[in-house]
Amino acid sequence: MTAGAHPRGLPDFVARTESGPYRDLAPTTRLVLALSMALFAFVVRGWTGPLLVLALVVLLAWLARVRRGFVPYLLATLPFVISVLLINTFLYPDATDVMFTIGPVSATASGFTDAVQTALRVVAFALSVALFALTTPTNLLVADLERRGLGRRPAFVLGAAVGLVPRLLRQAREIAEAQRARGLDTESTIWRRARGVVPLAGPLVVGALSDVEDRSMALEARAFSAPGRRTVLRTQPEGAFQRAARWGLVVATAAVVVASVAGYLRWLP
Amino acid sequence: MNWLSRQFTTRVIVLIPIAIALNIVLGFITQTVLRLPIYLDSIGTILVGVLAGPIAGAATGAATNLIWQFTGITPNIGPFFLTAAVIGFLAGLWGYLGIFRPRPASGTQLVMAAAIAAGIVVLLVVPIIGNPTYLDPDLGGFPEWAVPAAIIIAILAALAVAAFIYVRRDLAGLWVALAGALTGIVAAIVSAPIAAYVFGGVTGSGTDVIVAALRQGGADVFQAALGQGFFSDPIDKVITSFVVFVLLAGLSRRLVSRFPLGDRLGPTSEPMPGSSADN
Repeated sequence: MTAGAHPRGLPDFVARTESGPYRDLAPTTRLVLALSMALFAFVVRGWTGPLLVLALVVLLAWLARVRRGFVPYLLATLPFVISVLLINTFLYPDATDVMFTIGPVSATASGFTDAVQTALRVVAFALSVALFALTTPTNLLVADLERRGLGRRPAFVLGAAVGLVPRLLRQAREIAEAQRARGLDTESTIWRRARGVVPLAGPLVVGALSDVEDRSMALEARAFSAPGRRTVLRTQPEGAFQRAARWGLVVATAAVVVASVAGYLRWLP
Repeated sequence: MNWLSRQFTTRVIVLIPIAIALNIVLGFITQTVLRLPIYLDSIGTILVGVLAGPIAGAATGAATNLIWQFTGITPNIGPFFLTAAVIGFLAGLWGYLGIFRPRPASGTQLVMAAAIAAGIVVLLVVPIIGNPTYLDPDLGGFPEWAVPAAIIIAILAALAVAAFIYVRRDLAGLWVALAGALTGIVAAIVSAPIAAYVFGGVTGSGTDVIVAALRQGGADVFQAALGQGFFSDPIDKVITSFVVFVLLAGLSRRLVSRFPLGDRLGPTSEPMPGSSADN
């Protein structure tokens, strides 16, 4: 999902790959790290989990020199953050510590605390995944996973799905323009826009499905359903350190989840 | 094992990424761009489930939400992968049972089916209207417009389903409505704990209007999430199921019949195993 916009406008395959302590990790290691951080932010309640994960994300982003890439991800969390701040501050069940009242609703301190914690949690979660997505081109991730034993079917599904989303979005825009040229109203009241859903979604879905036959024949022609493993052309050397680190992360995350569910982490702020 | 690998033919493997991308694109437009109080992010999941089987459907659903999170356009969709998996699994069961098979009918049978379908829709809405969380004056009560609004939506939905059955002269509309509503109820039950525990009961999409109204009425975080689900999910899944039904009817028979459950989707007269009770 990433790296499309290189500083000098060069395509990905020409640009020099960036390196650094974070970027040198194998894609799978970064995936495990991102999932561990996401889980940590959710299961360690209160302030500790979200703030620790946010600090770690900022540190890793600094190491990986990811800066402006975060902006769209941060903007995407805005609807949620606004929603949770409004609803949980003003409509928090059983909260009595009123801060101030506007009309029929009162803002409560406990509601506000919970809202900020939830917002931080979701931002920490979104950014830990974002850091991974911004530093890992899909093709490298798929190749790395396949080398580690992911079957070719899941590998194809993952790679094709990620590649198809921007393609379908572009196609949706083209269909909208084509229908507008034929007089479809896509920019006025909600009822008129709702009437446009069928002429917009119909061609998109039917067009996508009509590709199924061609694509499956193309895959079959390349021995997609042949038995046995594919041979990997390029292998990357990998130290024992990363393997150990991955397993360590998995075990540690599982331990934190269990401790949190069992209630051993209540003492954390 | 054979049963499992039959669900993942090359054609299905090709369909799954397309279904995932459709889910994400349509869901993103509905939830984030138009901010409607429904989701429309399971058309692809239900399509794969009905064409290929429960495991393929569940895999499509789960992968949709995980990849959606990876694209970063919706920051809190990943944890709902469980709901999406359950939706896909149920769609696979409906596919096995032949729910989405066209069933041409006429005369009394057709009128009866339309009436029953309309009745089911109304039955689904009664618990919403009669739910103390929504109405109990001790809990603060629900805004007064809610009950008339629910009744109007129910009548419109019932009329739409009945009209669909009558105009297309197809009994399948009854089963599709029923399957969609059941899927929606299960989906609501699965998502409510996720929304409540992980996200403080809020999702950042159009459905938050309903959550706010329920909280105002005195519901706690979980009840509000569940109440919102019982409102949005059955409506959403019935719409989605009808979209999938119309899509399947529009696809060429040749293409549909090449999928693992394709033989349960064609308009044949002889009953298939598992669907015999439906006729």
